[in-house]
Amino acid sequence: MADNGSNPLKPDLGYIAEVKDLGAEIKLFSVKLLNGGSEQFNYYHPGQFAFLSAFGIGEAPFGIASTNERSDLLDFAIQRLGSVTTGLHEMGEGDIIGMRGPLGNCFPMDRFQGKNLIVLGGGIGGAPLRPVIHTVIDHRQDYGHFSILWAARHPSLLVFTDEYDDWGSAPDTELHLTVDQPDTKWDHNIGLITDLLERVAPSPENAITITCGPPIMIHFVNKMLVEKFGFKPEQNYVTLEARMHCGIGKCGRCNLGEKLVCVDGPVFNMEEVGQMLESYL
Amino acid sequence: MYEPKIIAYLCTWCSYTGADTAGIARLKSPANLRAVRVPCSGRVSPEIIMRTFDQGADGVLVLGCHIGECHYDSGNHRTAKRLPVLKTLMAYAGLEPQRLHLDWVSASEGERFSRIVNEFAESVRLLGPANYPVKSWAVHNVELPWAQSEPLDSLGFDIQSYAMREAAIRDYASQLLSESRVSCVIGYERSPRGRLRPAFIYTPEDASRLVWNPDCTHNLTLYLSEKIRDGGRAPGKKPDQNPASIGIVVKPCDSRAIQVQLAEQQIQREQVHIIGVTCEGIQAELDAYENQPVSGKARLQKRCQVCSERTPVVFDRLVGGTVSPELSGTDSYRAVDAIEALPPAERMEFWLSQFDRCIRCYACRQVCPSCDCPTCLYERDDSLWVGPASGSGGVGLNEARTFHLGRAFHLAGRCIGCDECERVCPMDIPISYLNRRLAQEVRERFGYTAGLAPVPSPIVTVLSREEGL
Amino acid sequence: MISSSSGLNELYSVSQENLADWLDRIQSSAKLIAHQEVGGILLYQPVSDSRQIAWTEARPTLSSKDAFFPPTEQLFTIQREGNNLTIVESEPVGKQVLFGIRPCDAQGIKALDALYLETDPADNYYQRRREATTIIGMACREMAPSCFCTSVGGAPDDSRFMDLMLYRGDDHYFLAVITDKGASLLSSFPLKSDLLEAESAAEQIKSYIPSRLPIEIPNQEDWPASFASPYWDEMSERCISCRICAYVCPTCRCFDVRDQLYPSENGTQVFERIRCWDSCTGTAYRRIAGGHNPRPEKGQRLRNRFFCKYYYYPAQYGPVACTGCGRCIDACPVGVDITEALSYVAQRGSLSDLDRSGA
Repeated sequence: MADNGSNPLKPDLGYIAEVKDLGAEIKLFSVKLLNGGSEQFNYYHPGQFAFLSAFGIGEAPFGIASTNERSDLLDFAIQRLGSVTTGLHEMGEGDIIGMRGPLGNCFPMDRFQGKNLIVLGGGIGGAPLRPVIHTVIDHRQDYGHFSILWAARHPSLLVFTDEYDDWGSAPDTELHLTVDQPDTKWDHNIGLITDLLERVAPSPENAITITCGPPIMIHFVNKMLVEKFGFKPEQNYVTLEARMHCGIGKCGRCNLGEKLVCVDGPVFNMEEVGQMLESYL
Repeated sequence: MYEPKIIAYLCTWCSYTGADTAGIARLKSPANLRAVRVPCSGRVSPEIIMRTFDQGADGVLVLGCHIGECHYDSGNHRTAKRLPVLKTLMAYAGLEPQRLHLDWVSASEGERFSRIVNEFAESVRLLGPANYPVKSWAVHNVELPWAQSEPLDSLGFDIQSYAMREAAIRDYASQLLSESRVSCVIGYERSPRGRLRPAFIYTPEDASRLVWNPDCTHNLTLYLSEKIRDGGRAPGKKPDQNPASIGIVVKPCDSRAIQVQLAEQQIQREQVHIIGVTCEGIQAELDAYENQPVSGKARLQKRCQVCSERTPVVFDRLVGGTVSPELSGTDSYRAVDAIEALPPAERMEFWLSQFDRCIRCYACRQVCPSCDCPTCLYERDDSLWVGPASGSGGVGLNEARTFHLGRAFHLAGRCIGCDECERVCPMDIPISYLNRRLAQEVRERFGYTAGLAPVPSPIVTVLSREEGL
Repeated sequence: MISSSSGLNELYSVSQENLADWLDRIQSSAKLIAHQEVGGILLYQPVSDSRQIAWTEARPTLSSKDAFFPPTEQLFTIQREGNNLTIVESEPVGKQVLFGIRPCDAQGIKALDALYLETDPADNYYQRRREATTIIGMACREMAPSCFCTSVGGAPDDSRFMDLMLYRGDDHYFLAVITDKGASLLSSFPLKSDLLEAESAAEQIKSYIPSRLPIEIPNQEDWPASFASPYWDEMSERCISCRICAYVCPTCRCFDVRDQLYPSENGTQVFERIRCWDSCTGTAYRRIAGGHNPRPEKGQRLRNRFFCKYYYYPAQYGPVACTGCGRCIDACPVGVDITEALSYVAQRGSLSDLDRSGA
């Protein structure tokens, strides 16, 4: 047996404490561990993820969308796309699921202190960025100017809409919203996140960017930041996604070249990504 | 007193309502009958039925609307054709065919429903509990006879004519490429190590790599759809705006696979330029260590010994003259009959011991030109009916058996018997016996042989009013 | 007789008869896995009688990795009654003796140990099978045309990772005790044998062992230069994206994890979570639910396979993930050959940057 007799492939049991609709086919699950569960879930950091099991179907990785400072529940924003997410969507409050984690590395928030932060979230990709936003707002003096660029294909796919007022009204913070396709009630920006970024025109001086969204979005955002605004790749942080089956570096699936997204990531800066032989695209 | 567990799949429009009618009239139903309501009897796929037996059913009943009364017009036609074939397959795998029954009940036929289920339950009771175990209980070595091989030269192999055909293939391929009548030619070549393998030729100069000899075993038609989709472009090059057709070297058996692909509209006739080669047979595989025939004598592959087609059935260019002597091939193996003749329990045990070795590498499926589903049912993440487990894992259900039986069923009336699936299997599972048994069944039941013409199998076409059932 | 205290680094002579008898006796305390002819191929399988063993050094179709990492393994079961869920861990496997494995298989164990045991967190399932297994190796008297173990640091008589090692002589076997675990098996079950003079016995053994000129193997630093080459698209055209190469390989270890329904009774629902072999050569290997797939092309997948074996795996865990056994070469249905890829990368790696840019 592994040193402490634990089995890293065996999940802890948790139950769904709350389910909230976040958008079209997107729900927010707030989960509590049963019987205390593993110690590790008390100490997790922005950027980390966990495997959730819909028993009888399987398990899949999801970014943790909460901070343990604000909540003793673990939040997961889940979009219904495949068999596991469908299984989870069919569950309700009180239902039992499995949890393994927290896994992966995290955003180096300590290294971001004193810097201007620009956070860019696309669609469901915003979920792992929410703990970053909460951390910055809750420790506002530790960070410099804060810009949040939040995008989706359609207003129904924007996540955490009920928090936008809080985000936008934090000191020295600006919130920009954009959608590709507006609905009749939309009165913010229209266009891709790169159009928005062009208008916001952030300065690379003492700045860090954090992007999470579809691979193609990451690509074009980074391109613009580097080529148009003069950011160095190592100033641009991303969280990458890959199909995973173990999350602990054993099944070999999630590699990008010699890096494993589950243990060397999912948080990388674009300098590291540029060095990888293989493209995430 | 043993009560058989019967699962009945009832179509919602006719037979389920028929069951209701029986209930209202207080007609008795067997004690252990469980009804599952489906939209149409046509929905009941082989995987569902096999899973039902896997989970412990002793009998499975499928009841649909009478022919001509299906709510979806022809759903029950499909069932009428498919289920008897499935029955044959399951019987071949060792399950008594009487445990699966198909019948027709309309909404008002409560009495008929009651009679059918009671008679079925009784016949299943007489058979005893179903013997459909998850695991084999012993390694069973059944000695199977099959056609004894003769040395190559006694069959009239003419090495000279092989060389002539090789030269003709090279010349023609080179000509096609230099005239841009094809964008590429798929053929055979020797690797640096000396192994025979598929070749993709894009320039007239490279056509000299093509070979033709008794090692040319691959069925190259498996690459056709893929190549047509990418416009026949060479690796690293951009596809042509107006791609020419794809040239391909085929043996008679392979040419039948093209007919199946044409029948099912996987490819269009003008997209492929067929270089058909007459064939006296392909050598059986050589021992990896000795690079010599295993028995010391050159040996024909099993399929070639019973082959009835020595000349391609469709081609744009024929290479080689008429082949003599023509064998009076039956396309069937004595082993297929030998397995059929075993008592059910031994048949079951034989197949379980074969499937026990399956490691789910899917080479059989990948090498098959007729297995062309974009996502295979057996690999879907959400498949309820079969999982990815291999044959001998410590798990609850025998998924490997379901995979092989299901795949054989999907190929009924579509498999042309190239036996490549069996050749590539690293675990030496005799897959061809399943496919040949079903080919026999389709021949006897529908008078249809796959690949002789670009016409789809009657199993997949809708029943016409004239077809009697 | 071999005693338990001495024994390491000594060589003994033992007859096949006595060996067979010993193999029958040890089954009282362990499951014996040895190579058998099964359905026309050679496989490592559980045997119940030494007469089932095929006394040959030909290379079995599958490697011995499935004694530690089986094709399908139950991780645990999940039992559900209403909203009550219990996870029941699977039973550990009992003691095993793996008899007659080839040096190339044992080198595969070395690669798997580096990942599953020596890199945190250790894998429970691999670990307990590994600890429960005693490994008895068999040196090769001949090499298949596709074998290239000597080119990747192995040898037909390599006894590393064995607990006991056998070398076939003319009418008897030479036996070496390699580890304490091996010695302990012999002390529990004495084996009739004669002690030999070590040096001359070792020389005799050497005379039976084949040799082969090494093939071209690239240095680790040669690999990146070939990453962007169109070679991978060319060589993979014939690939049919099956999984044979990964499954016959002694070092390939990618797995899939799924939940499956398990037969149950009386209102309890039971599922089992299994892990099973998977291969990066399959089309859907990296496809996520939303549809994105970073490796849609066969060339990208085969490139990943070869880079993983010779570049990524050693960078991450130490050993090269290839033992030169040649199984993938013989088993590939369409003649994809790893030695061709190795030759390409080695030759391209030795070109100067200037030459390479024109290629």
